Amino acid sequence: MTAPVTTTSTDGPAMVRPRPVGRGRVITAYRWEIAKLAAQARTRATLAVCLVAPFVFVVLLDRQDRLPKDTLYGRWVHASGFATPLLILGFAAQWVFPLLTCLVAGDIFASEDQHGTWKTILTRSHSRSQIFWAKTLAATTFATAVLTVLALSCLTAGVLLVGHQPLESLSGTLLPAGRAAGLVLAAWATALPPLLGFTALGIMISVLTRSSPAGIVGPIILGLLMQLYAFLNGADAIRHLLLVTPFDAWHGLLAAHPYYGPLRDGTLVSAGYLVLCLAVAFTALRRRDITGG
Amino acid sequence: MPRPTPDRSCGVRAPRGRLVRRARLAGRARLAGTVVIAAALTAMLVGCSADVTRPRVEGSLGPVFANLYVQQQTLLGHPGLTPTSVAARPTCHRSTPGSHDKGAGSDWICQVGWTDGTGRPQSGKFELQVRSNGCYQAGGPTKIIGPIMIRNAAGKNVINPVFEFDGCFDTT
Repeated sequence: MTAPVTTTSTDGPAMVRPRPVGRGRVITAYRWEIAKLAAQARTRATLAVCLVAPFVFVVLLDRQDRLPKDTLYGRWVHASGFATPLLILGFAAQWVFPLLTCLVAGDIFASEDQHGTWKTILTRSHSRSQIFWAKTLAATTFATAVLTVLALSCLTAGVLLVGHQPLESLSGTLLPAGRAAGLVLAAWATALPPLLGFTALGIMISVLTRSSPAGIVGPIILGLLMQLYAFLNGADAIRHLLLVTPFDAWHGLLAAHPYYGPLRDGTLVSAGYLVLCLAVAFTALRRRDITGG
Repeated sequence: MPRPTPDRSCGVRAPRGRLVRRARLAGRARLAGTVVIAAALTAMLVGCSADVTRPRVEGSLGPVFANLYVQQQTLLGHPGLTPTSVAARPTCHRSTPGSHDKGAGSDWICQVGWTDGTGRPQSGKFELQVRSNGCYQAGGPTKIIGPIMIRNAAGKNVINPVFEFDGCFDTT
């Protein structure tokens, strides 16, 4: 990591003051970003909500007679505890996932603008690219952590409060408890690529607008517009290119004869969003005149 | 003295005008190129076949209904049925004229024929709400498949699996 940095710095204006060997690594900046995130009340509160909310949801659902039949697995929530995490997965894709990841991704760059601290962190031993990758990695870590905590918490809430009865597959066959648990976790794992896509979208908006509210609300609104497009039965080919479509890829895993086409396409689309948004954000940050303001 | 001034002004103005014109032309060419590519892409994308088609709906509804019907009969105390012996045969269409039996909508109607536990042929009309992501919700005729809650062999009230059910099919 250090070698290319020192070579590039020799032909630039930074030659005046060569960077000491062993400093200015992405991992160091990443550790600082994680430490900053861990110290924020917002980050801790989000993780705590992800941990507790599924239990509250199951208790509230248990006291209701009406079943949320409009969402997949809504009709089975009282019959099997494994239906609960799948119901929440279908519901969370609407706007909860973009919100959760963008609470950090939409703020991690813009907060430096808000506090006017860009000059402070850039006069340290780290370059802009290093700061960019450290912040991006930190936002990605948070997104993965939130997804993991929410998935495990939903599964635990369902199994503890409803039970581990066999789960109805999407083909009308019954799945035994062990297999159902594995499939539920796999289904949640398929939400990671589009979630990271939304993380990159949040980072891009945050870098371009230099505003935390825009970075947090922007991706949610874009996500809702994409949902609206799918709801209004827009052209199928364009719907395949939307970042909310991969959130449905788990349906294929729960069929008696699993199909993985949507998962493959969804992962490619998510990777496209990730690369494009990060490239735009990276270029914008590199070209930005920070010394002037 | 007066000679160099118009010369210089000409010398400066002419290339600048040409440059501006060339830049404008290049800009227009680039714009035109982008428009052409975008139009071609859109045409290619829109021209693709629909995700929700009649063969896909029929191919999914048949096995799902057969599986759930076996479950229902087992709950009612008639085990021994298999999805193959139920042999569900759906025939689906969209009731909206001009839809060509393609696309998402809540107007899909499927006539399903199957064989019950006694070997008699049965038939029922199912109403489907098909979403663009390839998942659907199907509701059947209460007279033939029973109410939402049924009493199982042990005398307990349970959900009737075929009263209303969900299914999904591959759209890729």
